[in-house]
Amino acid sequence: MASFDLKDKTAIAGAGSSPFGRKLHRSPIDLAAEAIANALDDAGLGRDQLDGMIVSFGSPLGADVDTIAPLLGLKLRAYSQTWAHGRFTASCIQWASMMVCAGLANAVACLGSWSLSHIRRPKFGGAGDREGAREAGGGHGEDPVFGMTSPGAGAALVARRYFERYGANSRQLASVPVAFRKHAALNPNAIMRAPITVDDHQASRLVCEPLRLLDYCLVNDGAACVIVTTAERARDLRKPPVYISGMQPLPGGAEEFIWSYPGLGVAQQSVFDYDAGVQPVYRMAGVTHKDIDALFTYDAFSILAWIALERFGFCKPGEAAAFTQDGRIELGGELPMNTNGGLLSEGHILGWAHQVEIVRQLRGECGPRQIRGAEVIQWANCYGDSMIYRN
Amino acid sequence: MAQYLKPLPTITPLNQPYWDSLRRHELRMQRCDKCARVWYPPSPLCPRCWSRQFSWTPLSGRGRVSSWVVFHQPYFKGFESEIPYNVAEVELDEGPRLMTNLVGIANHDIRAGMRVEVVYDDVTADLTLARFKPSTS
Ligand SMILES: [Zn+2]
Repeated sequence: MASFDLKDKTAIAGAGSSPFGRKLHRSPIDLAAEAIANALDDAGLGRDQLDGMIVSFGSPLGADVDTIAPLLGLKLRAYSQTWAHGRFTASCIQWASMMVCAGLANAVACLGSWSLSHIRRPKFGGAGDREGAREAGGGHGEDPVFGMTSPGAGAALVARRYFERYGANSRQLASVPVAFRKHAALNPNAIMRAPITVDDHQASRLVCEPLRLLDYCLVNDGAACVIVTTAERARDLRKPPVYISGMQPLPGGAEEFIWSYPGLGVAQQSVFDYDAGVQPVYRMAGVTHKDIDALFTYDAFSILAWIALERFGFCKPGEAAAFTQDGRIELGGELPMNTNGGLLSEGHILGWAHQVEIVRQLRGECGPRQIRGAEVIQWANCYGDSMIYRN
Repeated sequence: MAQYLKPLPTITPLNQPYWDSLRRHELRMQRCDKCARVWYPPSPLCPRCWSRQFSWTPLSGRGRVSSWVVFHQPYFKGFESEIPYNVAEVELDEGPRLMTNLVGIANHDIRAGMRVEVVYDDVTADLTLARFKPSTS
């Protein structure tokens, strides 16, 4: 085992966000500034005590760390940034944890900020699809030559593959956005709060078949931030620490396709029966599925929730379609998911608003949507990365 | 030939032989001289054994539909008149999967696993695309 055991050695000391909205007409740096200030205030830290920053996504839609830092008058010892994909939320937090443990920084702001008000539709894909023009193709299967464009199309390809392989359908998938909308209705920060039904989902227009409008997340403006520091230091700050107990990094290679797990057979993946086994994040945290009080996942598209559940072994391949029915993933259910409303209903803040919600749940700050007695919460994604947090 | 409005491929020194072969109405991919693996997209070396000894080998042009989507929302001007149009992933008999459009079939008749074969579509004087149609044999 690692001699560098990070279990419970680091913590989230503060969490904050900007308002979320579809027409805020505020710049990404402005939104980032608000989220960072709120997170620092939440932790009881001054800006002079912030000496590290890791940003995900960045320009041109988001704000880059090398513009945020000087404009906010910060003095950083360490910074880093990932490229413009939503998959890096856990990675940023993991690297921040390693940085504070290694003494490279004392307090690291991890965040994402972006503003899409000014972008014309389609906001992703189409003529501006630089992703698809990448050497060897886009990260979500984009191949514009054949009209294959936008992250949602890659998710639709996975959904079709899943439907055909396991005999599932769009109506079953509706349970995911319906559940998350119920949660958003209890969240005053959420952008979409009006309840929806399975029939509303089925009546919503097809965007990239088999996915419908209500299978797609929101595209909006907003920023969210968490402050990572050592557990020892966090204990002396304003709020109770939210400990980082387990980490699982992003897997890559020939058997991976961003929205899928190995064996499903999308892109160049082999076809086999995927077995989640015991994923490393549970071993590191010393917990099992039974200990997980809530699961949060990157729900840019409804199908990603099914993939995440199966990837981490909450159910077997093909079983998430049934697993997500009957309120099981709703508040009060066996495994509440995305109690903030997720990207599907609260807003798309690149996965960072989910981290803020996890922190608030573990501190008991969530009011009408509080999970009673929440002690262990997991962030686990279709692409295989994860965090386990505890209070 | 009318003006071609759809996106063009990003041709690099690595994938140039693929596009050149399509212009000759052949579907060629890299095949490892050491371990016989056939792969796509083009790579500088065999993803299985890392040999740089490979040959651009003609393929059967046959395979099966592994997944597909149908675009109902316009993204590209060049595809607007074809909405709803399909994009399929075809698994070639030699192993690799290719993104493509299925032709000669209605979108609602597309089925997972159906046998398809390549159609060479000369879309401009310089560009030929590998599209696929239901197999007749
Ligand atoms: Zn080889």
